[in-house]
Amino acid sequence: MLQFDRDTVPAISVSRLSHAFRGHLALNDVTFCVMPQTLHGFVGPNGAGKTTTLKVICTLLRQGRGEVEVFGSNVRTDPAAVRRRIGYMPDHFSMYRQMTVTEYLDFFAAAYGLPLQRRDQVISDVLTLTDMDGRRDDLISGLSRGMQQRVSLARVLVHDPDLLLLDEPASGLDPRARIELMEILRELRRLGKTVLISSHILSELSELCDSVTILDRGQVRFSGPMNLLLDVPGEQPLWNLRLLQPYPQAAEQLRSLPAIAEVTEPEFTNGQDFVLRLAEGTSGNDLLRALAPLDLPIASVARQRRHLNDAFMDLTTRGVR
Amino acid sequence: MLNGATALFTWTLRMDARYVHPHVVRATFALFILFCLSMAALDAFGTNRTGLVFFGLVCQLNVLLIAAAGVSYFVTAVSEEKDAGTFALLQLAGLTPLAITLGKSTSRLVSSLMLLVSQIPFTFLAVTLGGIRWQQVLAAWVCLAAWMILVANMALLCSARCNNSARAAGAAGIILLLWFGTPPTIRTILNAIAPGTLSPEVRQTLSRLPQLLELVSPSKQIDLILNRWEVAEVFGAQFWFSLLLAVGCFTVSTLRLNAWTRPTEDGATGQEQGGKRRWPVGRCWRLPLVWRDFHFFAGGQTLFATRWFLWLVVYIAFLGLQKIELDSWRWILVGNFAMQMLLLLAGALTLECVLLATGSLHSELRQMTHSSLAMLPLSSTRMFLEKSAGCALSVLPSAVWLATVSLLSRSSLVGRIDGNLVLTWVLLLVFSTHVAALLSLYTRWAAFPLTLLASFVAFFVIAGPILLIPSAVGMLARTHNIQNSLPLAWAITIFWTWVLLLLPIQLWIRERWIVLLRK
Repeated sequence: MLQFDRDTVPAISVSRLSHAFRGHLALNDVTFCVMPQTLHGFVGPNGAGKTTTLKVICTLLRQGRGEVEVFGSNVRTDPAAVRRRIGYMPDHFSMYRQMTVTEYLDFFAAAYGLPLQRRDQVISDVLTLTDMDGRRDDLISGLSRGMQQRVSLARVLVHDPDLLLLDEPASGLDPRARIELMEILRELRRLGKTVLISSHILSELSELCDSVTILDRGQVRFSGPMNLLLDVPGEQPLWNLRLLQPYPQAAEQLRSLPAIAEVTEPEFTNGQDFVLRLAEGTSGNDLLRALAPLDLPIASVARQRRHLNDAFMDLTTRGVR
Repeated sequence: MLNGATALFTWTLRMDARYVHPHVVRATFALFILFCLSMAALDAFGTNRTGLVFFGLVCQLNVLLIAAAGVSYFVTAVSEEKDAGTFALLQLAGLTPLAITLGKSTSRLVSSLMLLVSQIPFTFLAVTLGGIRWQQVLAAWVCLAAWMILVANMALLCSARCNNSARAAGAAGIILLLWFGTPPTIRTILNAIAPGTLSPEVRQTLSRLPQLLELVSPSKQIDLILNRWEVAEVFGAQFWFSLLLAVGCFTVSTLRLNAWTRPTEDGATGQEQGGKRRWPVGRCWRLPLVWRDFHFFAGGQTLFATRWFLWLVVYIAFLGLQKIELDSWRWILVGNFAMQMLLLLAGALTLECVLLATGSLHSELRQMTHSSLAMLPLSSTRMFLEKSAGCALSVLPSAVWLATVSLLSRSSLVGRIDGNLVLTWVLLLVFSTHVAALLSLYTRWAAFPLTLLASFVAFFVIAGPILLIPSAVGMLARTHNIQNSLPLAWAITIFWTWVLLLLPIQLWIRERWIVLLRK
C-alpha cells in the first residue's frame, strides 16, 4: 500500500461533486482523491458518470456543486493553470486523420507554444515513448486503431503534463495493443506522471493500478488502494500455501498450529495446495513464524485476493433491480 | 430488399420528424414567404400584379435553394455513410444497392418535396393579390418539383461515385455550375465572334447546345409560365426531360454503387489514398490553427495554386472575348467585360467564403476534435480568429484578383461601382460568413442553403441602413464643413454594423461552441 505525507498535495481532489443533466443527477456527492505519481483506475458501468467526472476535472464541463482541485488549483476558478498541467485523452478518436503523425504532433506542440527548436526533440521523445518512431511519416488515417491510440497518447504528452486523464484508452484494442498500452502507462508512472485511467478492462487495471475508484450511478462505491479493494471481505483473511512436492502429513501438521483455524485442500491439487483460514487475531507475520519450524517444503505463501471483477460486481450490482 | 429499404426510409423520415432543426428550416421558409410577400407588395404598390411579383420572387429563390440543397443536403445521401465508415455495415446487413439508394436518397427527396408542398398554400395568395392564375401557380410548382427530383438524383450520382462528401459536393457544384453557366457563356462567345468567322454548320450546332441544356432549365420554364402562359405547358419538355435524366442518374447510381464503393486492396479508403498525394505542408506555423485550416481544411497549396491559375485562365478568356469584340488586343479589361469579370470574382469570393465558413467549425465537430482544441491554451476568440485567418488565406487568390481587376479597370468601373456599394458588399459578405458559421453549429446539411436564404433577406433589410449611414454622415459633414468625410462615414458604418449585427452573432457562436463542448 502506498504511503504519503499528510502534506502531499493530491494530484486530483474531488470533493462532494454533483452534476445534473436536464434534471438527471449524473454525479451525486462524488468524493475521491488521486495521489501524485500513481496510476489510479476509474471503474464503473456504462452511464456511471466516469466521463462526466473526467470532463469536470479537465475543465471542459463546469460542475454543478462541489470542489475539484488539480495539484491544488481549482478547476472552476483557475482553469488555465489546470489545463497546463493535464493531458486529456477523450473516449472517442478525435484526430485530424488527413495529417501525418509528425504533422499532428507538431500542430499540438505549436499550439502549446513550444518553440520550433524544442518541438523536434519533444516529438521524437514522445514517439519513442509510444514506440511509434517508425511510423512518424504515416498518415493517421492509415494507422490501425491501436496505433492511433498511441498517437493520441503521444499527443497528450507533447506539453509534458503532470497528470494524464485517459478515458477508455483500451477500448476497441486487440489484446496485444492493450498490453503494449499498459506497458506505456507503467513507463509513464515510472517517469513520475500521475495517470487517471477510466477503463472496463478490469483484469489489466488490477495489475496496473495503485488505487481505484468505483463509480456506480453517479455515486462512489469504493475509493482507495487496490489492495484494500481486493482483500476478501469479512472474517479472517484466507491464505494460499503451496508445497514443492506432495507431503502426506502436511494437513495434519498445519491443523496442529494454533495460528490456523481451518485448513482445506482444494480438489485436484494432489496434496500440494492448501487454503488456510487464520485464527482470530492472527496476522500474516504470525503465520509465517508458525510455519517456519515445520518440516514442510514450502514453495509459496500468499494471501488470497479477490479478482477485481468480483469486487466490481459486488459493489455495483447493489443498485441494479 | 423492400424491408431494408422501407426500414431505412422510415428511420430517416422519423429522424427528420423528431429533430427540431428540420422544423426550424420549414418555419424559416414560412417566414421567408412572408418576407417575399412584403417585398412584392412594396415592389408592385399601386399596380395589379403584386401576386405575379411575389410568386416570381418565391420561384426564383426556390430554384436557387434547390441547387444549394443539391451540393449540401442531397449530395451526402450515400457519401455520409462512406465518411463514417458505415457503408460496409449497410451491405453486411443485406441491403442491396437499390435499397440503399432508395432508402438514403428518396427519403431526403420526399422530405424536401414536403418543404415545397408546405409553401403551396401560402403561394395561392398570389392569385388573390392579382397578376397570376391558379393554373400558373400549380404549373410552377410542378416545374420546381421536377427540378428538385433532377438535382437530388444528380447529387445521388455524385454521392455514389465519390469517396467522400467533400468530393461529392465539389463534383455536384461543378455540374450545376456548368449547367447554369454553359448556355450564357456559349451565347456570349457566339455573339462576340464576328459573322463569317465560323461556318454556319458549326455556329448552328453551337447555338443548339444552350437550347438543349435549357430544356431542363427551371428558370426558363418558370419564365415561360409566368410571362408567356399561353405557350407554356404544365407537363412540358422541362418536366419530362428532368424526370428522364433523374431516372438515368438513379439507375446508374444503383447499378454502379457496389463497384464504386468496392474497398481497395490495402483497405484504405479513397480519402486516405488521396491524402498521400498531397504536397508536403512543412512545419506548423507560429499560429497553428491558421496552418491547420489552410492546409487541411481549405485545400492548402494545391487549391491555392489552382485558384491563381484558374483566375488567370478566366482573365485571359475575358481578354480573348474582348479582343474579338473590340478587334484590338488590350491587357486591361474595359467596359462590360471589366464589370462582368468583377461580378464573377465577387460572386465566387462570396461563395468561397460562405462555403468555408459553413465547414470550418463544423469540420472540428465532425472529426470530434473540438474537445482536444478546447484543452489548448488558446482562448476561443483566438481560436475563431486563427481559423478565420486560415480560411481567408486560402481565398487570397480570388481577393487579389478582385483587387487587381478593380485597380486595372478602374476607369471603366467609375460611375458603375462606388465606395458605398463596395462597403455594403464587404459587410454583407462578413455577415453571411458569420451566419454560415453559426448555422453550421446547429445543422449539418442546411447551413449553406439557409445562409443563402438569410443573406438574400439580409440584403434587403441591411443594405438600406448600411448605405444610409454614409449618406447621412456625408450630409452632416457637409453642413459642418468637414472635408474628406467618406473615411469617417465608413468607419462609423463599420463600427455600428459590428456592434449591432456582427457582435451578437459572434457571441452566439461562442456560446454555442461552449455548449457543444460540454455535450
